[in-house]
Amino acid sequence: MKGNRFVPFALAVGLLVVHAPVFAHHGSNSYDSKTLTTLKGTVTDFQFINPHSEIFFDVTDSAGVVHKWVAEAVSVASLSRYGWTKNSIKPGDQISITGNLAKNGSNTMRLSKLALPNGKVLTVERGEDYAQ
Amino acid sequence: MRGQTAPERAAKAPAHDLTGLWRRARRAPDKKRQYTIFELTASLGNEIAPMTPWGEEKFNAAKPNGGAKGVSLAESNDPALKCFPPGVPRIYTSRLGAPFEIVQSQGRVIMLFEYDHIVREIYTDGRPHPPDLNPTWMGDSIGRWEGNTLVVDTVGFNDKSWLDSVGHPHSDALHLVERIQRVGRDTMIDDITIDDPKSYSKPWVSHMRFELKPDWSLLEYVCEDFLNFQDLEQRSESPK
Repeated sequence: MKGNRFVPFALAVGLLVVHAPVFAHHGSNSYDSKTLTTLKGTVTDFQFINPHSEIFFDVTDSAGVVHKWVAEAVSVASLSRYGWTKNSIKPGDQISITGNLAKNGSNTMRLSKLALPNGKVLTVERGEDYAQ
Repeated sequence: MRGQTAPERAAKAPAHDLTGLWRRARRAPDKKRQYTIFELTASLGNEIAPMTPWGEEKFNAAKPNGGAKGVSLAESNDPALKCFPPGVPRIYTSRLGAPFEIVQSQGRVIMLFEYDHIVREIYTDGRPHPPDLNPTWMGDSIGRWEGNTLVVDTVGFNDKSWLDSVGHPHSDALHLVERIQRVGRDTMIDDITIDDPKSYSKPWVSHMRFELKPDWSLLEYVCEDFLNFQDLEQRSESPK
């Protein structure tokens, strides 16, 4: 979601965030499994690794402030079986990314799906009971 | 992807042949209630027998990462998080969705797990368990065919692994009997009898169902990569 609804949220998060994205690997308990949120941003890094791949991206709010985010996905094997490769995303890609936000208010989400600049949508098979 | 078509279900199982790449099935046993992915793939089922006092004490001492009584990675005493072998039957639940391949050769049925390249070698050449077994993480397995069911007998476990990811216990007296049957070309079931009188008041059965994944091949999952996240988790838990 973009626009007005995002701005107050981004400002609130901006007050809480530290220099690096606050990353939490706690399993499904840490994420709001019932709600999906979509953000638009620019990829800064893509770590195609085990046990969880990471997508680092910048989101710029309407005030021009850049917020650093990270999306956590599943393992390399699981992503590969859904068509991902290490070249699926590159720094600089403008993406629309959907996932479950971390409950602790950090700029972290658990990935559900991601839309690439060319329109292709990458999804994942998720291990826990998340909103689809 | 979801379940099998009628022709797939009808395709006959080859005899004495479990070869193929298998993955824990995600079809619920019945349609009466919603099963979580955890229940379908990472759980040992809901027929766990009451524990003995010894078993209860061990269960209470377990601090899993995740689940109802989950703690952080740094606080958890789960041996799997330190990359020790998961043991059996926990290996069937490691990494939701991770498959294993069965190959058969003269006198052996071999299970190759994607998770950390763990191998189980089941001797089907008629040999008994060796006397005075050294306790191991994965046990000693021998098997024989009863009709089209492979009956696998495993003993010789150490007591260092957990039975499952929430910390159900087992002792070194654990004796597993698996009845593995390919019920169709694409479906395999494994009824695992867990017999451990030191931990449980009576034997109980974990029912597992696997589906064939003919288009998949084993990929790599190295457990030590999990240690990448110890630092990150510490960073996320520091005060803001």
